[in-house]
Amino acid sequence: MTTTHMPTTRRGEGAAPPVRPARRPRREGAAWVFLSPWVLGACVLTLLPMAVSLYLSFTDYDLFNAPSWVGLRNYTQMFTEDPRYWRSVGATLTYVAIAVPLQLALALVVALALKNMRHGKAFYRSAFYAPSLLGASMSIALVWRAIFNDGGTVDHLLGTGGWVNKPGWALLAVALLTVWQFGAPMVIFLAGLQQIPGELYEAAEVDGAGRRRQFLSITVPMLSPVIFFNLVLQTIQAFQVFTPAFAISAGKGGPADSTLFYTLYLYDRGFVASHMGYASAMAWVLLLAIGVVTAVLFRTSRSWVFYASEGDR
Amino acid sequence: MPGNRTRKSSATAVVLALCAVLGGCSGPQESGGGGKVVLRYTWWGNPDRAARTQQAVDLFEEKHPGIEVQTSFSGYDAYKQKLATQAAGGDAPDVMQLDYRMIDQYASGGVLLDFAEQRAALDTDAFDTGLLATGKVDGRQYAIPQARGTETVVYDAKQWKAAGVAPPREGWTWNDWADTMRELARRTGEPGGTDPGWSEDAFEVWLRGRGKALYTEDRQLGFTADDLTHYWTFTDRLRREGAVSPAEETTQLDGTVENTPLGRGRALSDNNWDAPASGYLGLLPDGEVTLAPMPSGEDGTPGQYFKPSMFMGVAADTSHPEESVRLVDFMLNDPEAAKILGATRGIPVNETLREEIAPDLKDFDRTIYDYQASLEGELKAPPQAPPSGDSALQTTFQRDYDQVSYERMSPREAAENYITEAKAELRS
Repeated sequence: MTTTHMPTTRRGEGAAPPVRPARRPRREGAAWVFLSPWVLGACVLTLLPMAVSLYLSFTDYDLFNAPSWVGLRNYTQMFTEDPRYWRSVGATLTYVAIAVPLQLALALVVALALKNMRHGKAFYRSAFYAPSLLGASMSIALVWRAIFNDGGTVDHLLGTGGWVNKPGWALLAVALLTVWQFGAPMVIFLAGLQQIPGELYEAAEVDGAGRRRQFLSITVPMLSPVIFFNLVLQTIQAFQVFTPAFAISAGKGGPADSTLFYTLYLYDRGFVASHMGYASAMAWVLLLAIGVVTAVLFRTSRSWVFYASEGDR
Repeated sequence: MPGNRTRKSSATAVVLALCAVLGGCSGPQESGGGGKVVLRYTWWGNPDRAARTQQAVDLFEEKHPGIEVQTSFSGYDAYKQKLATQAAGGDAPDVMQLDYRMIDQYASGGVLLDFAEQRAALDTDAFDTGLLATGKVDGRQYAIPQARGTETVVYDAKQWKAAGVAPPREGWTWNDWADTMRELARRTGEPGGTDPGWSEDAFEVWLRGRGKALYTEDRQLGFTADDLTHYWTFTDRLRREGAVSPAEETTQLDGTVENTPLGRGRALSDNNWDAPASGYLGLLPDGEVTLAPMPSGEDGTPGQYFKPSMFMGVAADTSHPEESVRLVDFMLNDPEAAKILGATRGIPVNETLREEIAPDLKDFDRTIYDYQASLEGELKAPPQAPPSGDSALQTTFQRDYDQVSYERMSPREAAENYITEAKAELRS
């Protein structure tokens, strides 16, 4: 979407050279003034804490006593002496692999259904979007726990017992809470669908393509940049899932560590066991891991994401 | 000059932004109700303890009109996490209830006030010096023991009678206990009790019954993977037989009696501390809640001990140290408060008060008093305060046993994991 705008912006800037040199410094000064709240916020509340956490990751720090330098010990302990760490990595990957595709598929299906709706589109769009606004809250997670606990709604309806007390099922209950919040990617899909030119479908119809064919040959390729955008965004979010798992497992990541997601274990090490150094090291490994996963997604995108502007060339 | 103006305005903007940042950090520290001193007092416990504590606090406020006490309480697990976060953030409550496990860490971290600084406000003459010493770290009194407690097998005698199972005999061993659990399960179809494999406290009793200890004197592990494997194999077998609670029940334990299998009506006994067992009165309204001693080792060695069950501490950075210590003094030494509190935290440590209130104790307070009296002189000395890593290891213990009860690991594998984790924890 932005790619189509870029050339015009450049041209616009190019048209103004005579006035620029004289005004430039003053303009920048004003820019900094307006930026200062944000720049200060970024420095004090993001960059500084990040630098401190990088330092702490090489120390033993229990929050109360001064940190003491231990070199790479936190990292070696994580990789070689902590079986629970690897279980939390496994639980997180399983969760990402289940929740993200399910959520995106549901978002796409609902967006397709809404696209051609004549009446009540605005209502349904809002209704499906609402869970995205509520879903991250503690209260919804607690309701979720009540629904899936033994003696809860699901137990009564299906007679399955409490999901939250069964390894495997507990993870599914957390994943379902994420899937239920498909509203945000759905709205983006909907916007993407409306950008696809109607002529393409008309032409395909003339050529005798069925709806399945139209979906696979027009909708999916034309929508692929949006799918890619949603995939990256939701994957990054899924890696950092905390609140639902914390509430649904009553803060324990149980049963049998099955919902002990990475951030939950990080919290546990830092704030329950008071190993802030270890927790900081875990946070940095998570940051790197998300970076690697995102880079891999970008790599693969070359082979399946189709930008309309490329097609013009 | 325009440049100058810009610089000025940017400086103003920076200052404003800074103010906004700082403003976000400074909370309403001193704003209290109409010039009164406001103290925050937090504890963990069941609703019964909460009601009685509130009553005692109300009395304190009545006697000290200038002081307002804001109270809050929760279950133990939640309390432990919240207090750790508050303490680390320099926002510890003025007066807090502490566990044996927390003292070492909080005292060495500078969270707790040395009571010597407020000697005038607190009277400790009626305290046993040995017991008082359990609240000392490096010779300083950072915490005052509030009560002593001991573990118990708690059950509803009516349910056992209906099932036709004989009550525990004095000095029963772990094998006797296991047989009783099996018989209960056979006759009622419900598990006999909570799976003790989950509880580090129960493991300690079992271990002491075999002449060992959780920790050595130099604060290292006092047992081996073999010991833990032995214990978990024992409990795991009982679970497979259905004699103790299944994994789905056990995993819901969180330190409140409401979430124990007995409290949820899914088992016929629980192993717990004696004071919190009072919570069962409300959960088994028609029952006859009874306390039996924990099982001994096979040669009769008792494993349980009298433990200072709770401490009171004052935050080092409280703005009102004197008033805070006065509240501690009131809770521990005031005869009226002692009458209200009864044995809700265990039997009081103030010896004068203990004798004074003993004849008036009724209902479950009486039960606890008699239970502790029956063990007087029978038990071995308590171990020294656990190392600060024990607080985290308690949770690790539960999680590793989850792996066993959900049959994802053998007792041996889980035990070896635990030893690895514990060594790393105790190293730091």
